[in-house]
Amino acid sequence: MAARSPVPTAGDWLGSKGPGYPLVLSSRARLARNLEGLPFPGASDEEELERARGMVLESVSRGVAEERDWEILFAEELRRDELGIMAEEHLTGPSFCEEPAAKAMALGPGKAAGVLVNDEDHVRIRVMMPGAQFMKAWSEADTIDNRLEREVRYSFDHQLGYLTACPSNVGTGLRLSAMMHLPALVVTGDIGKTIAALGQAGMYVRGLYGEGSGVAGNLFQVSNRRTLGRSEEEIVTEMDTVVAQVAGNEKTARKVLTRGPGLDLADRVYRALGILERARKLGFNECLELLSMVRLGVELEVLTLRDFNLLEVGAAVAPYHLGEALGVEAAGEDVDRERAVEVRRWLDL
Amino acid sequence: MNIFCDECKKNIATVFLTKVSATEVSKVQLCEECAKRMEETTEAANLLAFLPHILAGLQGVDEDVVEEVLPGELSVCDICGTSYNDFSKMGYLGCADCYQAFAEPLGMVIAEFQGSEEHRGKVPGNASEGALLRRRLVELERNLARQISQEQYEAAAAVRDQIREIQGRIEGASSNGR
Repeated sequence: MAARSPVPTAGDWLGSKGPGYPLVLSSRARLARNLEGLPFPGASDEEELERARGMVLESVSRGVAEERDWEILFAEELRRDELGIMAEEHLTGPSFCEEPAAKAMALGPGKAAGVLVNDEDHVRIRVMMPGAQFMKAWSEADTIDNRLEREVRYSFDHQLGYLTACPSNVGTGLRLSAMMHLPALVVTGDIGKTIAALGQAGMYVRGLYGEGSGVAGNLFQVSNRRTLGRSEEEIVTEMDTVVAQVAGNEKTARKVLTRGPGLDLADRVYRALGILERARKLGFNECLELLSMVRLGVELEVLTLRDFNLLEVGAAVAPYHLGEALGVEAAGEDVDRERAVEVRRWLDL
Repeated sequence: MNIFCDECKKNIATVFLTKVSATEVSKVQLCEECAKRMEETTEAANLLAFLPHILAGLQGVDEDVVEEVLPGELSVCDICGTSYNDFSKMGYLGCADCYQAFAEPLGMVIAEFQGSEEHRGKVPGNASEGALLRRRLVELERNLARQISQEQYEAAAAVRDQIREIQGRIEGASSNGR
């Protein structure tokens, strides 16, 4: 088999605690850009895609990767399971795995920063941070953007800003997201009100793996919907405010839970722990739900347990990660069995 | 990301529905017409959160105007060959020139979805110096207003000096013919 660059291990940000932890697990900033003079990737032929990829990767190696090593991954050279692992660590979206042709990913040290090439747009700069750090995530993405801009010319219009394949990203091209753990809002049933309010405030609410993904483990991704008509700083400020409000709602819901019949909360938490401790087969969603409940119990001091980060363990027990540990041929049942073992190892049960 | 109605795939989605069940939050986006129709069906009973999200830009745009502009579906971008109809179906434009080619119908789509038609963010480094300075000026003026409202007078004085300096540079740049 030909030598290939291995997919690097999980990024540091995934298991770290930042401001707002444990309600805000991570922040992401994403900038969408396109190269001037080339059609957007969706309307490009093979040659145009290759040209775009060459130009972007060259600008990354000249402009961004000068000080520290960046890893370049060509999507079509990666195996299905390697692509799956990247998606499970939130490095790429589903389209990167489903149609890998002429796509690429440049990954910075620690995997916190990355440049995705030829996805919906020619350039997608992505920076991840632990906790709620939208300003920091955006300014790192902005620095990468400035460096790339020295090497390539972006499609830009003074009226509409940066031009993107979908007009929902036009203008700043900036989408900020927060990964939030909101178990008490789900248990008390107040999550619907919070989601409604977020919708009215012009925010998207999605599940663990972004657009089109279901919710698992009471993890919600909150992001700004509008990208035009406001400066990047204004989008950051809005995100700070909105995320703080949602975190406030979750805190209130937690107070309601702890003030209510203590036995109810303890019962839920210990049942979850009991299954994690004893089950010999666990599905992915089920596992996340149980981990979420156990985390809630730890955070509300209902039980003491070895500290763990929900996002980190969530990625470690995701299907492709377990498949890798077991060998590529692993089928569903083997993975479910391995998950039960793996989760006990993480929680020291 | 698609900005058209999930039902008719033709009108711009202005109503965002969020369905919350024990295991899943799913999103549906609809135009007002399809949303009204859905509201009457049992589907709506499942919707924990019903979000009539009429965007700011929609006010004052009546249906007749939308209907009149939509025959612009026939227009095709000369550069990449994408038609407005393609865009309506797929939600994606073919190239930067599509924004010009479909300026009129697309302008309305953008105004409705984004609530604005004017970029107020970053300008590329290779833009003209005058444009960069003007952008910076707008930013500083906003900072100044905020600081005054928060009674941070010392910081405000510093910002005022920066504003004067930039105003001077803009005048200098324009008298140099830039």
